[in-house]
Formats: sequence, C-alpha cells, structure tokens
Amino acid sequence: MSSKVVQAMYNDDDILMDAVKETRAAKHHIEEVYTPFPVHGLEKAMGLKDTRIAITAFMYGCVGFCFSVWMMNYIMIEDWPQDIGGKPSFSFFLNMPSFVPIMFEMSVFFAAHLMVITFYMRSKLWPFKKAENPDPRTTDDMFVMEVTVDGNEDELVSFLEKTGTVEIKVTEKH
Amino acid sequence: MSSHYEAPIRKPLVIGDKSYHDITVEVAAPVEGKANKLWWVAFSISLAAFLWGLGAIIYTIGTGIGVWGLNKTVGWAWDITNFVWWVGIGHAGTLISAVLLLFRQKWRMGINRSAEAMTIFSVVQAGLFPVIHMGRVWDAHYVLPIPNQFGTLWTNFNSPLLWDVFAISTYLSVSLVFWWTGLLPDFAMLRDRAVKPFQKKIYSLVSFGWTGRAKDWQRFEEVSLVLAGLATPLVLSVHTIVSFDFATSVIPGWHTTIFPPYFVAGAVFSGFAMVNTLLIIMRKVSNLEAYITKQHIELMNIIIMITGSIVGCAYITELFIAWYSGVEYEQYAFLNRATGPYAWAYWIMMSCNVFSPQFMWFKKLRTSIMFSFVISIVVNIGMWFERFVIIVTSLHRDYLPSSWTMFSPTFVDIAIYVGTIGFFFVLFLLYARTFPVIAQAEVKSILKSSGDNYKKLRDGNHE
Amino acid sequence: MASNKKYWKSVEELNENSSIVDTLKHNEFVEEIPTDDFLGDKESLEASSTTRRDFLKYVGFTTAAASLAACEGPVVKSIPYVIQPDDIIPGVADYYATTMADGFDFANVLVKVREGRPIKIEPNKEVNGSTNARVQASVLSLYDSLRLRGPKADGQDISWDEANSQIGAKLNEIKAAGLPIAVLTGTMASPSTNKLIAALNDTFGNVNHVVYDAVSESAALDAFEAMYGERALPDYKFENAEVIVSVGADFLGDWQGGDFEAGYAKGRVPKKGKMSRHIQFESNMTLSGANADKRIALTPSDQIKVLARLYATMTGGPVTMEITPLTEAVSKAAAQLKKAGSKAVVVTGIQDKNAQLLALAINKVLNSEVIDVAAPRYVREGNDTRVAALVADMNAGKVGALIMNGVNPAYTLPNADEFVAGLEKVQLSVAFSMQDTETVAKSQYALATPHYLESWGDVQIKKGHYSLVQPTIQPLFDTRQFQDALLAWTGNTTSYYEYLKAEWNAEVLGGTSWNQALHDGVFASEGTSEVAEVSVDMGAVLGALPVMRGEGFQLNLYTKTGLGDGQQANNPWLQEFPDPITRTSWDNYLTMSKADADANGVVNYNVANGALNGSLVELTVNGKTEVLPVYVQPGQAKGSLGLALGYGRTNGMKSEMLTGKNAYAFYNDFNTFQGNATIKVLSEEHEFACVQLHNTLMGRGDIVKETDLATYNDSSLDSKHTWNKVPVVSMDHKEVEATSVDLWDAFDRSVGHHFNLSIDLNACTGCGACVIACHAENNVPVVGKEEIRKSRDMHWLRIDRYYSHEEDFGSDVEKKLAGTGVNGYKDTMAELEDPAENPSVAFQPVMCQHCNHAPCETVCPVAATSHGRQGQNQMAYNRCVGTRYCANNCPYKVRRFNWFKYAENSEFDYNMNDDLGKMVLNPDVTVRSRGVMEKCSMCIQMTQATILKAKKEGRPVNTNEFETACSNACSTGAMVFGDVNNKEDKVTSLAEDKRAYHLLEHIGTRPNVVYQVKVKNTTEA
Repeated sequence: MSSKVVQAMYNDDDILMDAVKETRAAKHHIEEVYTPFPVHGLEKAMGLKDTRIAITAFMYGCVGFCFSVWMMNYIMIEDWPQDIGGKPSFSFFLNMPSFVPIMFEMSVFFAAHLMVITFYMRSKLWPFKKAENPDPRTTDDMFVMEVTVDGNEDELVSFLEKTGTVEIKVTEKH
Repeated sequence: MSSHYEAPIRKPLVIGDKSYHDITVEVAAPVEGKANKLWWVAFSISLAAFLWGLGAIIYTIGTGIGVWGLNKTVGWAWDITNFVWWVGIGHAGTLISAVLLLFRQKWRMGINRSAEAMTIFSVVQAGLFPVIHMGRVWDAHYVLPIPNQFGTLWTNFNSPLLWDVFAISTYLSVSLVFWWTGLLPDFAMLRDRAVKPFQKKIYSLVSFGWTGRAKDWQRFEEVSLVLAGLATPLVLSVHTIVSFDFATSVIPGWHTTIFPPYFVAGAVFSGFAMVNTLLIIMRKVSNLEAYITKQHIELMNIIIMITGSIVGCAYITELFIAWYSGVEYEQYAFLNRATGPYAWAYWIMMSCNVFSPQFMWFKKLRTSIMFSFVISIVVNIGMWFERFVIIVTSLHRDYLPSSWTMFSPTFVDIAIYVGTIGFFFVLFLLYARTFPVIAQAEVKSILKSSGDNYKKLRDGNHE
Repeated sequence: MASNKKYWKSVEELNENSSIVDTLKHNEFVEEIPTDDFLGDKESLEASSTTRRDFLKYVGFTTAAASLAACEGPVVKSIPYVIQPDDIIPGVADYYATTMADGFDFANVLVKVREGRPIKIEPNKEVNGSTNARVQASVLSLYDSLRLRGPKADGQDISWDEANSQIGAKLNEIKAAGLPIAVLTGTMASPSTNKLIAALNDTFGNVNHVVYDAVSESAALDAFEAMYGERALPDYKFENAEVIVSVGADFLGDWQGGDFEAGYAKGRVPKKGKMSRHIQFESNMTLSGANADKRIALTPSDQIKVLARLYATMTGGPVTMEITPLTEAVSKAAAQLKKAGSKAVVVTGIQDKNAQLLALAINKVLNSEVIDVAAPRYVREGNDTRVAALVADMNAGKVGALIMNGVNPAYTLPNADEFVAGLEKVQLSVAFSMQDTETVAKSQYALATPHYLESWGDVQIKKGHYSLVQPTIQPLFDTRQFQDALLAWTGNTTSYYEYLKAEWNAEVLGGTSWNQALHDGVFASEGTSEVAEVSVDMGAVLGALPVMRGEGFQLNLYTKTGLGDGQQANNPWLQEFPDPITRTSWDNYLTMSKADADANGVVNYNVANGALNGSLVELTVNGKTEVLPVYVQPGQAKGSLGLALGYGRTNGMKSEMLTGKNAYAFYNDFNTFQGNATIKVLSEEHEFACVQLHNTLMGRGDIVKETDLATYNDSSLDSKHTWNKVPVVSMDHKEVEATSVDLWDAFDRSVGHHFNLSIDLNACTGCGACVIACHAENNVPVVGKEEIRKSRDMHWLRIDRYYSHEEDFGSDVEKKLAGTGVNGYKDTMAELEDPAENPSVAFQPVMCQHCNHAPCETVCPVAATSHGRQGQNQMAYNRCVGTRYCANNCPYKVRRFNWFKYAENSEFDYNMNDDLGKMVLNPDVTVRSRGVMEKCSMCIQMTQATILKAKKEGRPVNTNEFETACSNACSTGAMVFGDVNNKEDKVTSLAEDKRAYHLLEHIGTRPNVVYQVKVKNTTEA
C-alpha cells in the first residue's frame, strides 16, 4: 500500500527543531526526519523512545565472558591438562590468573562486534543496501521532515510553509 | 541559540566563515579532485619501500630466520622491536576518538578520523611481525585454538604471546568497526555528491545505504558512545598485554611490574607524535588548516609532553628499583643498559623521549608547526630505540656470562622495517585520496558551538 | 628386399578377379561404418544431456584429476632384509666390544649398532674403558665420504690381487738387490702384527720396522728404558695420589697417551675430608693447569730449571740454578711432596730424556705408589732417532722399499719435504691408509685400509692387558687390512681373522674361551713380571739437561682435545668441538699472554655481532715461517707461545674442513719446546669462531660455587649459609628458603620415575667427551665456522669455562661487593670483565636444566614444550612454530634454534648432507626441521628404552640403570644420572649432598640438574 507524505526541507537545524516541535503540537504525524548530522534533542522533540542497544552490548559482553571461561576451562583443564611450567592445570581457579587477559578480550570482542551487527541489522545498514533518503542534500546541509498526509494535504502544506521551510514536496511513499 | 553556547574563552575549532555546505565541499575536495604531483611522488617512494620489504620477507620465509641477525642468546631483536613500536603508534587513534569522546573533548573531531586510520594501518604493520618472526610461518594457524584431528591439541593460554594474539586481533577488529561506523554518514555524503557512476557505486556500497534518519542518528551516537566505552579499556589492555610479553618473563630488565603503565604511556606518547607527523603534512597537502588548527597541534603537543615525562619517570623508577631490589642480576642489567656496549642506544632513547619533549613547556615552541613536526619525528625515533633497548640489551647479557654476545642487524632486518613503513604510507596515502579524512558530520554538529563565525556572532550578542 | 613382401588378407585373393578383393582394395572397411545410425537419429542426440562443452569439461576434469593424482609425496625407499639375520632385531641396538687403536688414541669401547650400522661409541665400562672426545667422534670418521675407497697404484685403481702380486714381485727384486725393506708404522701395540712383520723379515730378509708417533713420547720411552730396562711408558694411578706435581705435563690431555682423568678425578672428589693436591708448572693453559689447585705459569726454559731444582731439593743434592721468584714455589711443592711421601708423584711433559729421568728419579726417591712401573703402557712406541735415521737413509738411497701403515709423515714430519724427497728415491713405496693423505698422494701404492670398526686386530695397551678389535660392519669400501696384506706377501693363505684367533689361542688366552674374550673385548692375563732396576748416573743426567738460550719467544707445541694429532681432521664434529680452554672451534692459533700481546700491539676484540677477531702475526722458528692468528690466552706464561698441532691438513678434506695451519713444520727434532720464536705483527686480522665471548664470571658466585677444603671440612659451619648459600625470601616476616615458597600447589612427582642429573664440578675436567657423545646420540647438526661466529652453535650440551678476575672466584665476589656507589659499581663491573693474568679456571657443563617450573614452557603459545611425567622438559618439534620466546625466557640459554635447514642442504655440507655421513644418524631421534627450537631432552629415547627393556624382562628398572649419553660418556664420573624416586640410585644421595646446589636457584625454576660445589685443596704444606 502506498501513503502520501509531505517533505518539508530546512537549511538550519534550529529552524528544523522549532518546526518539529510545532508540527507535533499541531498533532501531525512526523513520518521521518533526515539530517546530515546528529541534531541533539531532535529525538526528544520527535518523541522517539530511547534505544536499548547499550543493554544488548552488555549482554553480549556477558556471553563473551562466559564463552571464554568455558573455552579455557575445557581446553586447559578438562580436555588435555598438561604440566606447563608447573602451573596447576588440575584446578581452574588456581590457574585462573593466567586466563584473565583473554576473558577480558573475549568479552570486549563479543560486546563490540555483536552490538555493531545488531545496530546494522536494526537500522537496515549493510553493503548493497539502497539508500532511501528523499534528497541527496540531506547528507550535505539539508534537513528534511516527512509528515504523513491523511486527506489534509493542502492544509498541511500551508501549515508547513509557515515553519520556515525552504522547499516543500508532496510524494508517494511506498 | 543557547543550546550551542560555548565559553568565549575557548578557541574556535573551525576557523573562517563556514557554512555546513562549505564543510561538505572542503572535506569532499581531496576525494573528488585530482592527486597533485607531491602525492604521486610520496606514493611511489612508499610503494618502492613496501615492495623492497616484501621481497625481504619472502626471502626470509624461503631461506630461514637465519638471514636476520639473531643468535642463540638474542632471539628477538628488530622483529619484536618493530612490532611493539607499531602497536604503540596504533594506540593514539583509538585513544583520541574513544577517550576524548568520553571526556566530550570537541577538538578531537577534526583529527579522530585520520588518527583512527593511522591506528588501523599501524596495527596492520604490527600484526605482520609476530607472524613473520615465526620459524615456521606456514604453521602460524597453530596459535589459534583449533584442535587436531584427535581434538586434543590445543594452544597454551598461559602464554603472553597467545594473549597477544587475542588482544591484537580484538583491538584491530574493534577499532575497524568503530572507524567504519563513524565513516558511514561521511561515505553517504560522498555517495550523494558523487557524479561519476563508478564512484557512486563504490560509495553507496561502503556507506551501507546510510540515510541519516533520526532513529539511526540516535543509535549511531549510542553505539559510538558504547564502543568508546569498550575501546578505552581495550586500548589500555592491548599495550598492557604486549608489555606482559616481557613483564611475565624471568629475564632481568624484562621482569618488571612497572611495564604495563609505562608501556601504555609510551604508546600514547609515540602514537600522538605520529598523529602530529601525519596531520601536519595532511593539513598542508589537502589544505585543511581550517579544521586541523594550531589549537589541535598545541593540544597534541601538550599530551606528548605529559606522556613523555611519564615515560621519563618510568625510566628513572626502573633504575631506582633495580638498585633498591639488591638483586645483582637486575642491577647489572640496568648498569649494562646505561654503560654497556649498547649505551649509545640507551642515551638516544633518553634524549629523544625524556629531554626533547620538555621543549613543549614553551608556548612559542609548542605552537610552532615546524618545531612540532621535528619533535614528533624525534619522539618516534626515541620510542623505537626504547623497545630496542628493552629487548636487545636485556637479552644480550642476562644470567650466565658464558652466553653473553651481541646483536647486529642484517640488510634483511632493515629492509623489512623500512618495508613496513612503506606499507603504512601506501595505505595512508590511498586513504587520504579516497576517504573523508575529516568526520564532517561531527564537525557540522559542533560548527555552531565552536565555529569561528558563530562564536564571533554569539559573543557579539552577549555584550 | 623386405619391401616387396606380400601379405595375404584372405583366401579370396587366390581368385584373380574377385569382387571382395576389389572392394577391399578401395575401401578400408569391409562394412560401412554406421555413422548415420548414430548421427542420423536426431532425438537420441538431442535427448543426451552431454553437449560438446560438457564433453570438454569432462576431458578437462579428468586430465586435471589424472595430473593431480600423479603428484605424490617423495618415495622413501626402505628395503627389508631378504633373509633377516638372527642377531638383528630392527629397532633394537646391538653392542659389540672392540678397541680403538689409531696410534694416538687407545680405548676399550662398546659400539652401538643399529640395523647393522655402528652409530655410537661408548666406553666399555666393564673393563674400565674410557673414551675422550676423539674416540667418541671416531664413529663419524668411519662414514667419511672422502676415505680411500680401494687400492691404487700411481693414482690408478687396481685390484687387490694385482696390487699384492706386483708388490710381492717388487719385494723379491729388492730382496735380490739386497736392499733393506723399511716398515714404517704408528704405534700399533699389536702382538700379532709384530709377529707378521717378523714373518715378513723371515721371507724377505733385513726388514727394518720403524715405529713413528706423529706426536712423540720418545724421550719418556728412552728414560723409562734407561731406568727400568723396557721401552714403555709407566702407568700412573692418580687415584692414590695425595700430592701431584706436574712440570709441563698435561696428563688430563694427551700426555703419554692420556686416559688418566678417571683416576685423577677419583682423587679430586673430597672423601672423608680428603682430596689430592695438584700443583702445575706450565706455560700453556692446559686442562691439567685449569684443574690444578695451584698453577704456576712459566716459560719452557724455566720448566726445566724448576724440575732440576725440584730434584735437587728432594734429594738434598747440590741446589743449582737459583730461579727467583719460583724458588719459593718449588720448595713449597717439594715440602708437600716430602710430606705426602709415597702418596705423591711428579710428572713432566718436557720432551727430553734427562728431564724424564729426573721425574722418574724423584718418584723413586718418594717411592711413589702412584707410578706403576711393573705394568707399563705400550700406547707410545715411536723412536725419533730411528725415524730420523730412516729419512736420512731414504735420501741416501739406502732403502729399497718403504711400507707405511697408518702414518702420514708427509704431513706430520717437521722435515716433510726431506721425507718426500727421500720417498722418490725409494724403489717401492706402499702406503696403507684409511684416508687420502698427503703421504698417500706421494706413494706408488695407496692401499685402502678399513676403519677400526671394520677390522680385526689385537692391542696390548699395557702389560698383561690384551684387547681385541672386531668388525661391527661389513667394510664399506674395497679395503683390506695391513695384516691381510702381510699374510698375502708372506705367502700365508689364512685370513688375518684365522691367524689372530690362532695366535690368541696359542699365546694369549691360555686355554680360556676366545668367544668370551671377544665378547668382553679384553683379556687380562695375571702373572706379574719383575721390574729390572738399572742404576742411572743422575749427576750426568743433571749435567746433560737441555738449556734453552736465545732471546725471542719460546714456542710450546701442544695437541688439542678436539683434533689431537690431526688424524680425524676431516671429522666435522671434532672441527666444531669448542676447545675446552679457549672455547674456539674450527682453528688453531698462537696463544699469547696479555702482557706480550700489549707489548707487541696484538689485539683481540669483538666485532658488532659479538664475534671475536684477532691480529695475524708471522711466526718464524729457525727458518720456517707461518702466518697465524693470535688468541690472547689468560694464564699463558709471559715470553711463551702456544700452538696446536693437527691442523692444516690438505688432502682428503672437505673444503669446509681446511682450517688452521700445519704446526708440525715447527716440531723440530720432535720437541714440543722450540726456542727463538720471533713474531711480526701483520695488519690483517683473523676471524675466530668462538662460542664463548665473555670469559669471566663477573663475581656471580652463585653460578659456579667454589670453596676450599678447609672450609668444606669445617663441620662447625652450616653449609647452607656459608659456602653453599641458598637463596632466601621473607615470608610472613620470616626468612625462609626461596625454594620452599610456591605460588600454587605443586604436581605430585613422587610416583613413577623422576630423573635428576648430578654434575660434580670437582670431578669434571672439561674433557668434552660428553659434548661429542651428545652430538652423536641426538643428531645435533654441525653448522660451520660462519654460523658459529654468529653465536649460533647448536650444541645441546656445552661446557662453560670461566676465568677469575682476581686469583680466585671468591675474591671476585668480594671485589664486586666492595664496589659501592654508582661509579664504584660501574668501574668494578668494567674491571671484572677482564680475566686475571694467571686466573683460576672453572668448568661447568650446562645443558637443559629440565626445570620443574620451566619459564620456557609457560611462554610457548602453542604448548610445544611442556613437562613430562618423569621430570623431563619436552619439546614437540612438530608443534613448534618457532617464536623463540622460550629461548629468550630461558635463564640458562640452552635452547637452540634451527636458523636454517641444516640437513640435506648444500649450504651446510657436513655429515648430514652426504649419504654416507647420514648413516651415523640415530634412528631414535628426529632430525629437526628448519624453524623449530631444539634442546637437550635428557636423552628421553634412552630412558624410555631402559624402561621398555625392564618391562620386557618383567622386572623393575634396576638401581643406577638409567643413563644419558653424557653421563655414559663421562669417564670421570662427574655426571651421574638417575631416578630420584629410587632411594638407592646414586643420584638420589647426590641430590641431597651438602655440596649439591641448583644453577640460579633464586629464580625458582626448580631444575632437575644438580651441581656439586667445587672444592679446591689450597692447603700449603
């Protein structure tokens, strides 16, 4: 199904911020906002929920830690314990100090990579992904606010013109 | 405007009357423009060096480690010296982007991209040495925990060298994704500006289809923050673990508990010096003086000065502890460093690492581009010698005098070292031509707070 | 003509005009080929999925597959026995008792034979046989690829029968001409051979048998003959000695045939608080001097004076020749001799009959129990005067035939050129030789003899002590023994084996079993002979003592532990064997005192990679000149020079082995003392291959612990805090032994075997037999001079040699401690780097210490080295990736890295690079590949073999049954190997001895090698 959206363009982040606030106040539904750089406070203004990606990172870290513990315990203590420089390979806890560095490294490794992968997946970022920004200038100096139209196109356009937009486009969005 | 307020006392980080678009244009310029003669000269020289080194490596692998200058007593020399040197250099980038991000240091934004690039390229060089220094490179996969067909042949997790394997690979891969994630918006910028179809193809490929949605930006910032939080302990851990190679051994001069902090400080020291070296060239070549300002150089110099002094303290402490320990082997190890056959190396290290950075106390000197450049080179020479001193002078005279001998490099040792420098610059020069060398998205976000023109305007308003 | 043959295709052809024949003429096939049936029917073609492209693909694939299948690994041929010999079990070694007697070394040995290949020489301990480095290495000389491979006449190969008939004919001519036949042999001490030469005399008349030792003991023989009526050498039982005074006699080296170290060492290990006292007067630093309690360095001329004075003081005769400052030293020595009385002995190495007589006389005065004149030794028989006479006669054309066996006068004679000239004048010259020597090249007939491991023979090493030589392998080449030839010439058809057996049954065995004798390798006949006492006019002797006048240096020639008289110069093991004193391999050189070096502007210094360089000088001794490098030798007497014989061989040598200069040129009238030596320093330098570049101990008293007998005997002292200090640490504010503290729970090592190796620094004379034994047992590669210079020697076992900076190591420690303050410390350390003018010397064999807490194990990333259940630190070569981390982290620096491919590599053209040389490799030990670390394994292959043997025989391993190559080769008993979990094993008590200490104990590595503190007897009478 397709839906109509109005794309209002701004050339300054502050104007955009005000516009976003007004639009929401006017109970228009902001479909999406495209900015060339992170505009602080925008997500608040748009009323986006906080991201939980940091929490996933923490959990991934725990997984990495457990994996490293399991791996080293299996390799050094259970599967083939050797007398290496007299180190107590008969007990994981006695031998543990030598395993700390790798426990740490593995935790970081898991946390960092799995988190980034999650981010890419959630934000649909991967090689050969087609970019969907409405206007190439949004990565340069243009700020675009997409507002969904539900039958009130003209009214919406006129409203938006008042928000200091420099350009307005009405398009079909799939 | 209040949201962009910054104390007037702070110097502008972006000079000149710049709009968002100007930034875009100026960052994209080196990529879209043609390479100048200087670039080609530099590139061909480094390529030649790289190929020479490559030849030397192939010769080594084909004939045996014996083509190096090593012997029964000195089992490591230039190989591991170079390894530690490169790893050290590879610390600055992550430090700048991660630690400074955590401390919300805005001035990082001008330089973090190149600093990280440098990190990755130098860690690549570093990673080379532990591999080629093996007597049997073709069995290098033995260092990975892969069992044999009976499932019982494993690596030894007590070995600092194995810790290295994990630390270095984690560090390299994590800084790579950190870097790449940061690159996405800028690649996207290039993609959207690109006119040549091939360029467009490539940049849309590498920009992973970044569009700049508000939600993506939110996640983006979160991810950057967490990665920074992870990378900071990581970067410290890496050189700590590298220092364990020596600290956990029994060789006098190696077996030292001060090594971890001392190595990390040294790493930051040499890393920042290298960043200085590169940026001072780059800001000229790709005329980015507006974004990499004197201010940046000065701040870097201050860090160099501080870390240099920390390293100096470490040297002194080592000597003191050696004396204080009352262990004759320890005492002799350090006496031998300062007065033995390799004293010249020790004093080069001392003068380059401890004395030369002290000039940075003088504002005049630390704000002089030329001088900073010279010092940055000197410091890197000094840091190379630090590793040489630690490794070779400790080994060549250790416990049993009967085994004492000397080391002198062969042309192969030299070729491989020069080769890695060549390789490093090949990568960096290619990067400078094809990558957005400044994190333009981030710079744009601070333009209003730290931009020259906006500051003037704002400060005008205030009175 | 063959062209117009007619071939019938069918009977139809008989018929002139047959249609079939006609058709056959025109088309090849009788029937049409049904191509259309195939190509014609479209649908089957279209139905088939195989297109042309597919077809090509298949072809391509199959070709690829075929060619891939063709690539196989190299085929290693292993040929099984067609008929398995009963006495060979593949994988199990056989041992044969035999005897080495090459005219220089005489030893009763056991030969280890694997699959028919002798691979190792071991001392025959059942008969107190002992081996030195050369004997150990002799097995490799068997596989010398440059040996003479068959009989030659004027350089052309001929058959043995031809050779024998031709020579026989010539001999008859000479007999007819009435010219004498000279037989020139080295010392063979072989009764049967002497009989055969006598037989030769019977056949051809006036055969003159001259015995010639390259390194002569003629003077000693003459002296003994003069005093005891028999031309032999007295035997010395140093184990009975309380005081040993040696004037220039290196009796731990090759003096009078050597082989005294076992007895000497027995007396040196303090037992019940007693050990012998050894005083050495000498000019070169020798093994004996290095082991002495008191060493006085003095020139050869002074040695003669000292001996004379010693005699005078002992006999109370007129004390001639005042020689301050030595007077005091001599009288002290004399006093101690007197005190010890019959338990004292005086030996001298001065090559002069009268000097030797003096020594014998002193021993007579002392009525010494140490010297044994009743059962003298026959290991040297050479007679200088007769050799000189022979050369003269040859030049005078008075010699009809010269038959040589096992000698190389063209190389070893000082007047070699005269000899060669004489050789031309001789009608018939025959050289029996194993190697292609200088003499062989000059002789008409070169007859290839087998190696002693391929030969039969008998040797009477000392009176009543008969040894047998038996072959342990089929002759590798077309060789025949000298004795077989003699039999042939004297028309005796029996083989030498038959003859020998008959001889022994008749003369020696006295009814006992030949097989038993052959099994033991030795037959000792009881029945003592009386000693003839001849009175000698000592006055005359004293008067006739030689006096060395003239300015310039006095040259003292000597033989090296490695090469000896140079017979085995083509043996890479011996060439690479570092000299125990100078630790230098691949060379001979002038040794000079530091003082003289400075005076003459001679330098020794280390280049950038540590290697040692030295000045070249031009040495001139009565007319002859040679360019030689100089090694500055601490302890070398001022005004004297040392130079080793046995180097500079040219014929039958691999190019790598062409090392050093021939010093025999200076060996005038067979005297090791040569006066009037002058040197001219040249601007060029020589590159030494020295394995130890730092000579002093830097005051590190805990590496070589040394004390004196008095302190050792002082029961009031607690050794652990005085002369055998143990490192201590503070735990819970209490001082405890460092070794009692541990970070973790230790492994249980009380079950099964746990190996320890004890090394007694008192008993170790530094002879280096263990070094070569280790080489042979463990397939240690030879790397060559250039690599040695790069400090890349591969020896698993090395014998460190340290010089003191002060007069002994104790004072070094004091000096070190005295150096206070930064500068004080710095300067002291700098000074400690230089050895004293006449230092005391310590030998310390160092191999892998097999630490229970091994630093090397923890750092290996791939776990290629880990600890064995029996205490061995093990290397898994296949797993090693060669990071060299373990070597760096080894405090003892015993790990060796394969910098290159050392086997089958023409860059390293030694025994591992030729098919013959490879036969010496021990099949139980891997030949390491390039890029892996290797080190002493505590001969795990030997310990495992012992365990398996015991298992097969269903018994526990016997006490003291375990052995390693080094402990087995050690004739002094300095090295004792065993199982500390067996309380009876000798090593167990040694490990707990109050002299026992571990090397670098304070590091906490817990080694399984234990050293015994060196005790010196410093009691002056």
